[in-house]
Amino acid sequence: MVKIYSTPTCVYCKTLKGYFKKNAIEFEDIDISKDEQQLQKMIKDSGQMGVPVVDIDGEVIVGFDKVKIDTLLKINQIKHD
Amino acid sequence: MIYDLIIIGGGPAGITAGIYAGRQKMKTLLMTKEFGGQMAKKATEICNYPGFEKISGAELIEKFVGHLEKQESVEIKFAEAGRVEKEGGVFTVTTTENEKIQSNSVIIATGADPRPLEAIGEKEFIGKGVGYCVTCDGPIFKNKTIAIVGGGNAGFEAALFMTNYASKIYILEFGTEPKADQENKNEAKKSDKIEIITNASVKEIKGDKFVGSLIYQDNISKENKELEVQGVFIEIGSQPATALVKGLVDFTKRDEIMVESETFQTKTPGLFAVGDDNSGPYKQIITAAGEGCKASLAAYDYLRKVKN
Repeated sequence: MVKIYSTPTCVYCKTLKGYFKKNAIEFEDIDISKDEQQLQKMIKDSGQMGVPVVDIDGEVIVGFDKVKIDTLLKINQIKHD
Repeated sequence: MIYDLIIIGGGPAGITAGIYAGRQKMKTLLMTKEFGGQMAKKATEICNYPGFEKISGAELIEKFVGHLEKQESVEIKFAEAGRVEKEGGVFTVTTTENEKIQSNSVIIATGADPRPLEAIGEKEFIGKGVGYCVTCDGPIFKNKTIAIVGGGNAGFEAALFMTNYASKIYILEFGTEPKADQENKNEAKKSDKIEIITNASVKEIKGDKFVGSLIYQDNISKENKELEVQGVFIEIGSQPATALVKGLVDFTKRDEIMVESETFQTKTPGLFAVGDDNSGPYKQIITAAGEGCKASLAAYDYLRKVKN
C-alpha cells in the first residue's frame, strides 16, 4: 500500500504524484491540510513536518527521494513515452 | 550514447529550453530534481506572465511541464547533477548517484536555492519547524504561531498566504523598514494576524524535538527577545546553484555565471547558463523562459557549427 502525505499547494507533491501515475503506481493521496489526525500520524512516522512524505508498506520516505522510491517500488528509469 | 544536449534544471528556463530543443529535434535529456524552480515556492498568484492574467505557480508549472512532455526527442530524468566536465569536445554530467551521462552541449538552468539565515539551530530544525517553502509546508501550521524571516516581497507574500492557515504570523525584518512593495504592505495591514517587527536580527531557533521559539536581537536596544513560535520560514532571498560547473566558467561575486549577452554561452563553448544562474538582471519567469529559448537555439547553432 502506497500513501502520499501532501498539501494542495505543494508543487513537489504534484511532481511526485505525476511520477507515480506515469509508472502506474496506485496510491492514496492524503491532504494533511484537511486531516489533523493524518497530519499527526505523518509527523510521528516521519519525525518531521515537511511534505511530501511517502509511506510504502510502512517504509517512510521524506521528500521525492527517487532512489529509495525506485528501489522500493522497483521502478527503473522514466523514459519519454 | 551521446546526447546533443543535456539541460540541467526544471524551472521555466530549463523547460523552455527543452521545448525548443524538442522542436529542433535535438536528442535531449532534461535532468532535474523536481519541476517548477522558484515558481514552485511562489506564495501568491503570478500576474505578469502574458496570456495569464492571474495564475498560481503550481498551475503554470503544470502547463509548462505538459508542453515539455509533448516533445518526442526530449527525455526527462529525475536526478540531481553533481558535476559537469568537458573533455575532447564532449561534456560529461555526473549525477549525485554517480551516474555519468554524455552530451555535446549543456544548458545550466539549475536556478537558485533559498539563502539560509545561518542562525543557531536553523539547520538542526530543518523540517522540524524550519522551512523554506511556505506553499509546500505552510498548511501544516494550521492554527499555529509562526515567524517569517525577511520583510521583502517573498516574506510578505508568504505571510499573506499563511493567513489562510496560521493563527499568528510575525514578519521579522532586519532593517528599519520592510523592503516589500506598498501593495503587499497594505494587504498585510488588513490582516490582524500579521505583526511586523523591524530592526530584528534573528539569533537562534530553539526547541525540543520541534521548533518552540525564536530569539532575535533588537538592533536598536541590543536587547534579546524571544518569540514563542512553532514554525519559522526563511525568506531572505536566494543563491544560484552553480557550483557544479566550477572550473568551466567565470563567476561573479554572487556565484552567478558570466555569459555572453546574446547567446548565454559561458567561456566554455557549448556550455550555456540561463535564468537565475547567470549574471543578467531582471530575474522573472518570462525572462528565464526567454533565456532558455535563446540558449537552446544557440546550442543548436553551436552543434551545427561543430559538426561541419
